[in-house]
Amino acid sequence: MNFTLSEDHQALRESARVFLDKEVSLAPLLVPGADVAAAGHDRLWDKIVDMGWPGMVTPEAYGGLGLTYLDLTMVMGELGRTLAPSYLFGTLAGAWAIERAGSEEQKETLLGQMAEGKLKLALAVADPEGRYDHLASDAVATSTPDGWRVSGERGFVVDGLAADKLVVAASVEGERRFFVVDRAAAGVCASPVDWRDTTRQMASVVFEGAPAELLHGANAEIWPWVRDRLYLLLAAESAAVAQFALDDAVAYAKERIAFGRPIGAFQAIKHQLADIAGQVECAQAAVQYAAWALSDNDPRAPLACAMAQSYASEAAKDATYRNLQIFGAIAFSWEMRNHLYFKRARANFALLGAPSQQREELVQFLEREAA
Amino acid sequence: MDFNLPGEDDPRRIEVRAWFGDNPKPTYRQIAERGFTAPHWPRPWGLDADPELQYIIDTEIERTGMTPPSKINGIATNQCGQALLHFGTDAQRQRFIPPGLACEEIWCMLFSEPSGGSDLGAIRTSARRDGDNYIIKGHKIWTSIADHSDIGVLIARTDPTAPKHKGLSQFLIDMKAPGVTVRPIADLTGEENEYNEVFLDEVRVPADRLLGREGDGWRIVMSQLQTERMMMTQPAAVFGAGPTARELMSGLIQTGRIKDPLIRDEAARLYIEGELCRLLSLRSLSRRMQGQPAGVEGNLGKMIAAPHGQRICDLAKRSQGPGAMVRNPNVLPLPDKSFGRFQDWDYAYWFSPAGTLGVGTQEVLKNVVSERILGLPRELDPTADFPFNQVAVLRAAS
Repeated sequence: MNFTLSEDHQALRESARVFLDKEVSLAPLLVPGADVAAAGHDRLWDKIVDMGWPGMVTPEAYGGLGLTYLDLTMVMGELGRTLAPSYLFGTLAGAWAIERAGSEEQKETLLGQMAEGKLKLALAVADPEGRYDHLASDAVATSTPDGWRVSGERGFVVDGLAADKLVVAASVEGERRFFVVDRAAAGVCASPVDWRDTTRQMASVVFEGAPAELLHGANAEIWPWVRDRLYLLLAAESAAVAQFALDDAVAYAKERIAFGRPIGAFQAIKHQLADIAGQVECAQAAVQYAAWALSDNDPRAPLACAMAQSYASEAAKDATYRNLQIFGAIAFSWEMRNHLYFKRARANFALLGAPSQQREELVQFLEREAA
Repeated sequence: MDFNLPGEDDPRRIEVRAWFGDNPKPTYRQIAERGFTAPHWPRPWGLDADPELQYIIDTEIERTGMTPPSKINGIATNQCGQALLHFGTDAQRQRFIPPGLACEEIWCMLFSEPSGGSDLGAIRTSARRDGDNYIIKGHKIWTSIADHSDIGVLIARTDPTAPKHKGLSQFLIDMKAPGVTVRPIADLTGEENEYNEVFLDEVRVPADRLLGREGDGWRIVMSQLQTERMMMTQPAAVFGAGPTARELMSGLIQTGRIKDPLIRDEAARLYIEGELCRLLSLRSLSRRMQGQPAGVEGNLGKMIAAPHGQRICDLAKRSQGPGAMVRNPNVLPLPDKSFGRFQDWDYAYWFSPAGTLGVGTQEVLKNVVSERILGLPRELDPTADFPFNQVAVLRAAS
């Protein structure tokens, strides 16, 4: 038993912190009317590739660094804290689907390129309603003499506009399979979605007979396996967003004077911040536990990931709300950064299904355990 | 980082279990003499155990089905006994610790008074030096198990001319001494009393029962409360004891009540909260293993765990419908093991409002968290730097 971050973890977090503090500027997004195009994804991505982050948790056999999920959360936390615009979410999501469903050869080729930073990926699993497990509305793949063809519409594809290749869930005779499609191929039309979180690039994608490469794996565990990891990513970001919102509000409450005292001297303010501090503490414990459980292949990892995503995303929602209320009206303006955190928290809350869904997954897990 | 707890095959566990195998029905004195009652204490009282060994011993005691010594005599085996290690004299340790750890002398904590619970620095009970004795006069309240205690750990004012926090001292008093009157408090649960009032009427206490020096009282109290709040980070119905969200969930699954969609989501939420409290309390253990002192984090833990305990009791009850309002311990099935004082959901439910009052009200804890952890401005106390015996004058003037 050792719940303390090692010096290596702390050093990794520190290097990510120094790098992102230097490279990330939210200022262009705070100009009224700015949209995601102002975020500067491309500029930052080249530097993120230089840091080696895309291949951090890719197994060494496929050209990655083979680090643990705990290492990854050190970096994801900093990306969340700074709201760094990056393609890491989409790229990791696609890579995990390939890692789980691809053949050895597919993994060597695709993951190798990804880890080198030469291949950006995105994962297209949700239907246009945002449902991830609704096979009836999956895209459809058919086998033709010229290979596989995919048709259908996928929604909520993070980084889908920038990706070089999309990993697509499509059904083959009622069974969900995963395919790799070139984003630039004929029959692929990715359109931007006016996602409220302008630090994240979001697309919807229509496939019309797009040529596709089938990933060899076929079982019902692929998506849950990938989903657990996506829960961890979002939870790590959200816990860091919550921590940021807390620290930011605490700092403001110490300097803003009203009625002759710093507003943080009033219990109406300080007690709310104490509550948020409790949630932040729990959110971070949840993230570390989930990261450890995944790294250690613990049988309770799915439970740990569902707990982390549901708890951390609600904590971030609460913390950013409280942050905005403590700043007061000034935080209602576009030019303040508070709303970017407020929006990221809500987007992370909604993206993979609301926390009530993860809680349902948790109860089902416990019901199976009890049976 | 490693979240694995010591397993079934851990050699230390095997050794502990072997002892319980050789001593199938040990007395609490035997357990204490083996060093299992307070394993984290230094020898000869404990085993200098790290928190992991402590965890193993606690779980092995629990496995025997015995009520753990900490649930029988927690004041001696935890917060106040520990203060004796740091602040007591050798003679005091020899006299008080062995019967305390053996649960042969039960201890209670004479802190709160009618005029001051949250504002503990404002207590009025006085201790006046008289030759080789102190004469104690005052009135304590909300004292757990005072009605079957032998030793009282008392905080009293030795210097009324000093500011409120500076004139306090601690004593180990004999609860059977002339002038000590204990009156049980009938509480809202309608069950056997937990709390008592204690009247101290010119009680003579030998001067060698003073803990530390005169004026050390506040410092000692703070360390005791820190330890106590840390223990209360554990997720459970009340004060870190009783059934937890795990038992709530298994009870709801067993009875089929988990099928109700509203109960289902709430139970999941509470289960998660409980697991996270468990991680926080294990993390403080782990921090102590790394040699970091127990700090203010116990306040944060109790701040989270106390309302959590209230909510699990509430859901357990609500799942039962109107039947929940009938006095009936069988609200939800519980596994066959000792939950200490809170053996059933019914009693825990009616007791649970006290969870955010005892050992620091929720409001006091939020003050501590926001001031000591977040660094926000301290609460104003116009009486803090004023000689205590002139506070009434100050109040009259304002």
